Amino acid sequence: MSASRKTVRSATSTLTAGFLSLFAVVPLLWVLTTSVRTKPEILRDPLGLPTEFHFGNYVEAWVAGNFSQYFLNSLLVVVPTVAGVLALSLLAAYAFALYVFPMKRTLFIVLLFGMTVPVGILIIPLYYQMLSLGLLDSLWAIILPQLALGIPISTLLLRTFIAELPGDIIDAARLDGCGSMALLWRVVFPLSRSAMITLVILQFMWIWNQFLLPVVLIQDRDARTLPTALSAFLGRYGTDTHLLMAGAAISFLPVVIIFVIFQKRFIKGISAGALGSV
Amino acid sequence: MLYLLPAFAVYAVFFLWPTWQMARLSFFHWDGVTVGSVAGLENYTRMGADPLFWTALTNTATWTLAAMVVPVVLGLGLAILLSRSALFGTTLFRTLFFLPQVLSSVVVAVLWRWIYNPSYGALNSTLESLGLDFLAQGWLGSSSLALPALFIAWSWTHYGFVMVVLMAAIDDVDETYFDAAAVDGASFWQQVRHVLVPAIRGPLTTVILITAIAAFQVFDLVYLLTNGGPARSTSVLAHFMFQAAFHFRKVGYGATIGVALMVMILAISLVLIRVRRGFEEEVV
Repeated sequence: MSASRKTVRSATSTLTAGFLSLFAVVPLLWVLTTSVRTKPEILRDPLGLPTEFHFGNYVEAWVAGNFSQYFLNSLLVVVPTVAGVLALSLLAAYAFALYVFPMKRTLFIVLLFGMTVPVGILIIPLYYQMLSLGLLDSLWAIILPQLALGIPISTLLLRTFIAELPGDIIDAARLDGCGSMALLWRVVFPLSRSAMITLVILQFMWIWNQFLLPVVLIQDRDARTLPTALSAFLGRYGTDTHLLMAGAAISFLPVVIIFVIFQKRFIKGISAGALGSV
Repeated sequence: MLYLLPAFAVYAVFFLWPTWQMARLSFFHWDGVTVGSVAGLENYTRMGADPLFWTALTNTATWTLAAMVVPVVLGLGLAILLSRSALFGTTLFRTLFFLPQVLSSVVVAVLWRWIYNPSYGALNSTLESLGLDFLAQGWLGSSSLALPALFIAWSWTHYGFVMVVLMAAIDDVDETYFDAAAVDGASFWQQVRHVLVPAIRGPLTTVILITAIAAFQVFDLVYLLTNGGPARSTSVLAHFMFQAAFHFRKVGYGATIGVALMVMILAISLVLIRVRRGFEEEVV
């Protein structure tokens, strides 16, 4: 193929991709442009562009939707859950990767079972479990099940990662008299940092967006997380498109920004999660 | 091993225990409040005879089969476009195409409610400006169009996953295979068909099955956009289970649907594990 034909083909591909990407991006841009227009303007021309920018819509939506409370709630769920998943999974993965113990295979299969079952299916028993524990309407009701459901996939991925660490480093540390706790803390943990960061980002996205658990387990409006808060906001301000779009933007901008900053790790984590190694 | 203890304790209490409870509940009649009564297999026979269950199962199966094709073909097409056609800005495009995948289902619902709005929605407005007014519809209000309309919104948030996994798989394919095919005079599409697709068939099968599992348990968009309607045309199993337990207060019956759902998802997962192992052995 000649150089000029190659350039033509690259240009065609780029244009095709550019055109197709509009389908992914335009709906989001529309949320952003509509979020700074006024209600009469939107009624006159729903698809139009803003003539001036009414950032006040964000303030109004933020206050009307009580979003500071829900933002905080979402953080109060995500941070301990992600930290807990990572800590517990690292311990378990370390044992599975580097030690031999009775029933290892059985325990591992029991854990794998959890990877195949999505948390939503357990919503009925979880509701009655949280009811009997007195945890309904508390953030714990959505933290604990997500902690349990985050462990299998994270343990599996970390185990694969740790098992592939160079054996000489581990052997050398053992020869130096490292106990198993010191080996974990001084050798395995620092070496696993990149895999852990990838997992943090993945878990963050899943937990931040979780919808079914809070819908059922949290009725108290003060304990809502962002997705259920937005859904309630949709019910109340469904006709105030400008506020609705500002509310939607408030809830997706953090994830989108984090995604754009960490997109390499995000994407690596997602393909690793699918294909079985970090 | 002491290191396993914390993880397994949490896992046992908040995963294995509810799973066991769900199985147990499926053998009881219970309204969630008063004392329940033993049902034996009644919930299961009732499910087999319940036309609403079969509607939900048919819709779920249709959705799952479509999910194994539509987002997969889109994702594969984009992965080939971005990884193999020497375009400019691969990373930028990958980021843009992946964006819908990071949105929460509520944001997706807000967006598609607007797109499908019969009076001022983007879809109907676009059709009208193209002079195709006769195609304009009340998309989510029609019992024949609501399910496909929901499915399209769902696919919009799932092709990105397929795309990035397959891009990673394509990048792992040895470049010399493509060079050899090119020397033999294979066209671009012949290379795709005879070199690329066979080389990534392990990851391809994996993403098809993972997408199928996600499709089988679809709930959020149905709940947010149509609540199973109109006339149960968008009723799917997860939503039917939710309704049975929390709206109609038939907790035992809801749990029975949950058990059925879990068994079916487990079956797809076992196929996935087997297929994956098959490919791994082939490589070794």
